[in-house]
Amino acid sequence: MAEYKAVKIDKGPGGWGGPLTIKPTDARPYIYSVTGGGIHPLAQKIADLTGGIAFDGFASSKKFEEIAVAVIDCGGTARIGVYPMKKVPTVDIHATSPAGPLAMFITEDLLVTGVKLDNINLA
Amino acid sequence: MTVLYKSTVTEIGELVPSFIAEGMLVFFGESAPEELRTFCIIHKLEHAEGQVREGDVVSIDGHEFDVLSVGSVANDNLYNLGHLNLKANGNTVADLPGDVSIAKVSLPEVSIGTKIEIFRRD
Repeated sequence: MAEYKAVKIDKGPGGWGGPLTIKPTDARPYIYSVTGGGIHPLAQKIADLTGGIAFDGFASSKKFEEIAVAVIDCGGTARIGVYPMKKVPTVDIHATSPAGPLAMFITEDLLVTGVKLDNINLA
Repeated sequence: MTVLYKSTVTEIGELVPSFIAEGMLVFFGESAPEELRTFCIIHKLEHAEGQVREGDVVSIDGHEFDVLSVGSVANDNLYNLGHLNLKANGNTVADLPGDVSIAKVSLPEVSIGTKIEIFRRD
């Protein structure tokens, strides 16, 4: 059994939603970076603080139920809703607000946006 | 005419029609994770050069649409991920940072093999 710690993630300047408290488990260990170009620094920081496993969603996929938190760089239409729709807590590095066809699935306990490195701290 | 971007559609997710009904086409490159594919049009990049801006033209199998506005992260999305949110909403200022807006028109049919091109008129 790995030891996991919880982090609190607040919205950044102009952001929306949250705060989210994220604590990975053995069943949900992945800090899932869906940002392209490798693991985003925010995902890496969440992984480093929590003991979760940083994972690049563009390299290969994990099941929704294995994801502790998804980190996205979504401009507001698609990825912003996909993970909340499946009840996966989601962090958007851009300061977007819920929109698009999936907006109905997005709630403040599932999405936090505009997040900067300083907004991620041990809970 | 300068071609900025050129690709061919290789896969269409089952939820794409509900996005088309709302006047939007969501594209992603071939490396998109499985969970995004249900509502995306997957396309294979053939050519990319230069940033897309207002006044450029998006062509979908020869149906041409003038770009009215380009959100602040739209070019990054397009070039890093092959990700494009094309919205037929007539917005001259992008609503969302990922948007590329065209006039409020009905979007053409997209199928496997559809050619996407973004170009700049000389």
